[in-house]
Amino acid sequence: MRPATSAGAVVTAPLRWLARATDVPLSAWQRLTGQRGMIALFLLPNMAIFGIFVLVPLVINLLYSTTGGTEFFLSDRPQVGADHYARLLDCGNYLDPNSCRDDMFWIAVSNTARFVFFQVAVMTLAALITALILNRALPGKGFWRAVFFFPVLLSPVVVGLIWKWILQRQGLANLFMVELGLEPVNWLTDRLWAFVAAVGVSVWAHMGFYTLILLAGLQAIPRDLYEAAEMDGTRPFRVFWRITLPLLMPNLLVVIVLSLIRAVQIFDEAYVLTGGGPGTSTMFMTQYIYEVGFANLLRNPGLAAAASILMACVLIVLTLLQLYLSRRSGAK
Amino acid sequence: MGAITLENIVKSFGAVEVIRDVSLDIPEGELVVFVGPSGCGKSTLLRLISGLDQPTSGHILIDGKDVTRVSAADRGLAMVFQSYALYPHMSVRQNMAFGLENTRMPKAEIASRIEEAARMLEIGPLLDRRPGQLSGGQRQRVAIGRAIVREPTAFLLDEPLSNLDAELRGTMRAELAALHGRLGKTMIYVTHDQIEAMTMADRIVVLRAGVVEQVDTPLNLFNKPANRFVAGFIGAPRMNFIEAEDGRVMGVRPQHLRLADGGLAVTVDMAENLGAETLIHARTDKDQPILALLPGQLTPTRGENLSLVHDPADEHWFGADGLRL
Ligand SMILES: Nc1ncnc2c1ncn2[C@@H]1O[C@H](COP(=O)(O)OP(=O)(O)OP(=O)(O)O)[C@@H](O)[C@H]1O
Ligand SMILES: [Mg+2]
Repeated sequence: MRPATSAGAVVTAPLRWLARATDVPLSAWQRLTGQRGMIALFLLPNMAIFGIFVLVPLVINLLYSTTGGTEFFLSDRPQVGADHYARLLDCGNYLDPNSCRDDMFWIAVSNTARFVFFQVAVMTLAALITALILNRALPGKGFWRAVFFFPVLLSPVVVGLIWKWILQRQGLANLFMVELGLEPVNWLTDRLWAFVAAVGVSVWAHMGFYTLILLAGLQAIPRDLYEAAEMDGTRPFRVFWRITLPLLMPNLLVVIVLSLIRAVQIFDEAYVLTGGGPGTSTMFMTQYIYEVGFANLLRNPGLAAAASILMACVLIVLTLLQLYLSRRSGAK
Repeated sequence: MGAITLENIVKSFGAVEVIRDVSLDIPEGELVVFVGPSGCGKSTLLRLISGLDQPTSGHILIDGKDVTRVSAADRGLAMVFQSYALYPHMSVRQNMAFGLENTRMPKAEIASRIEEAARMLEIGPLLDRRPGQLSGGQRQRVAIGRAIVREPTAFLLDEPLSNLDAELRGTMRAELAALHGRLGKTMIYVTHDQIEAMTMADRIVVLRAGVVEQVDTPLNLFNKPANRFVAGFIGAPRMNFIEAEDGRVMGVRPQHLRLADGGLAVTVDMAENLGAETLIHARTDKDQPILALLPGQLTPTRGENLSLVHDPADEHWFGADGLRL
C-alpha cells in the first residue's frame, strides 16, 4: 500500500504544484474581469484555432477570389473585382456546360449534382435497409454492425486505393469475372462504369456511419407500438410505412442532410479511384477547384477561390437546413 | 363469446421456466384479475393469451377452439398496454382507426365506431389531438377506446392504471368496472395493486413464481385463503402469522385484533395514526412481529405492553407445508 501511495504522490505532486501555480494568475484574472472574463479565457484557445485555420483562410479566400494572376501574396495580385464570378456564372444554358464560358466548371457542377443525387439516394436507401436488418434479432449482431461500420474508419485515400486495386483492368473483380467465364469490364475507364464505381465506393465507405444513426433511431421506437400493431393484424408493409418510417423520419432527415453535405464535397476517394476520368466523367467540384488552383499548367488561384466560395454557399445553405432540423427535433 | 381456457401452459425463456403448468377457466363475460408479486409471470401469461408470445407447451382455447397456434391478430382479442402504446405521430382518431383500417372496414363504419367509443369514454373533444398533447388519464382512455372500437371478444389489460396518480387511479378503476358492466365482455386484468384486484374482480387469480396459488372471488380469497402465501398477499395490512408449538401456523388479520386483558402479550414498537384507525407495530415475547389495526386514535408509547385478543372464528390455520387446514 505504501509504495503505491508514494508512487502516486510522485505523479500528483508536480500536477498539484502546477495547479497551484496557475491558480495565481487565474484568480487575478477572475478578480479583474469577473465570470464573463473567465468564460472568454477558456474559450480563447478554441477560438484562436478556429480563427487561424477557418475564419482567416475564409476571408483571405474571399479576397483571393477578387484578384487575378498567379502571384502568391495578396498584395502582389491585381484586383479584378467580380470577374471570376462573372466568368464562372456566364452560361447560355445552365443545363448545358458547352454553352458556358468556363465549361469545365459546369461539367464539374453537373457531375457533382448527379453524384450527390445518386450517392445520397443509394446510400440512404442502403443504410436504411441495412439498419432494418441489423435491428432484427440476428445472430452475431455486434459482428455485423462492426463489419458495416469498419469502412468508415478507413482513410478515404486507402478506400480509393483498395477499390482501385479491385476494379482496375487487371484487378480482383475482373479476375473473378474471367474465372466465371465472363467478359472483363473496364470498370474505371468506361464513362458510365467509372461514375457508378465512384458512387458505389463512396456509398460503401460512408454507409456504416449513417446506418448507425438509423439503427439508433429504430431502437428508440418503443417495441410495444409494434406489438399493438401486431394485435391489430397490421401487415408488415403497412407497419413499416405507417409506424417505422414516420417515427424514423427525424433520423432519416439528419442522414439525408449530413450525407448531402458530404457528397457535395466528394474528392479524395473518387480522385484516387478515377482521377476524374475517363475524360471528365468523374470530375467533381472539389477536383476542379484543386486543379485550377494548384495542379493546372494554367493555374488560376483566384478562379479556384471564386469557385470554392460558390461551393461554400451551397454548403452553408445545407448546414443551415441541418441546424434547423436538429433544433426542431431537439425542441420536440 | 369470450370464454378463455388455459390448459397446462408452460413458458420458458431459455432454461428459466417462467410459467409452470398453469390451467385456468375463464367463463364468458367475467372480469378476472391476475395478481402476484413483481416478476411472478402475470405479464407473460397475458402475452401468451394475447398471442404475442408462444407457450413452450400447453393449449389456449377461446370459446372451445384451440388458438395456441393462431396469430395474435386472429384471436379477436384487444390489449391495453401499461405504456398505452399509442402511436405518437397519429391523432387520437387515427390511433383508433388504425386497427380497423387493417380489416378494410368501410369508412363510415369506422367513423361511427370511433364516435360511439368517444362518447362512452368522453374523449370526443380530444379526437384530433396527438397523444403527446394529452394527460395521463386521457391517454389511458384513448388506449381503452382503441381497444373498444375493435369490438373484441375479450380485453386484456396489463397494469393499465399503474402510470396514473392515486386519485385518478381510483376514478378510472370505477370507470373500468362500469365499462365492463356495460360491455359485458370478458376482461383479463393484470395488476399488483390489491385494491384494484379486490374491488374490480369477479375472480382473482393469485400467481407466485409462475404457479397459480388460488383462484376465487375476492371475498373468498380474503376469508378463506388456500395457503399462507395467499393469506399474506391478499389483505392490507398483511395478515399476522403466529407459529404454534406443533409446527402449525395461526394467521389472524390485523383488523381482527382488539385490546383486552388476558390475550396475546405484545410490546409496542411504533404506532401509525391513520386518523380513523391506528396501525400498531408490535412484537410478541418470542420476537414475532405483530400488526394490529385498532379503531380510534391511540397513542401507545414505544415499549408499552399491550394485550391483544381476537375471535376464534377469525383464525386461519396453516400446516407446516403452508396449506390451509
Ligand atoms: N423475454 C424474456 N426473456 C427472459 N426472461 C423474461 C422475458 N420476459 C419476462 N421474463 C422473466 O419472466 C419473469 C416474469 O416476468 P413478467 O414480466 O411476466 O412478470 P410480472 O408478473 O408481469 O411482473 P411485474 O409485476 O413486475 O410486471 C421475470 O422473472 C422476468 O425476468
Ligand atoms: Mg408485468
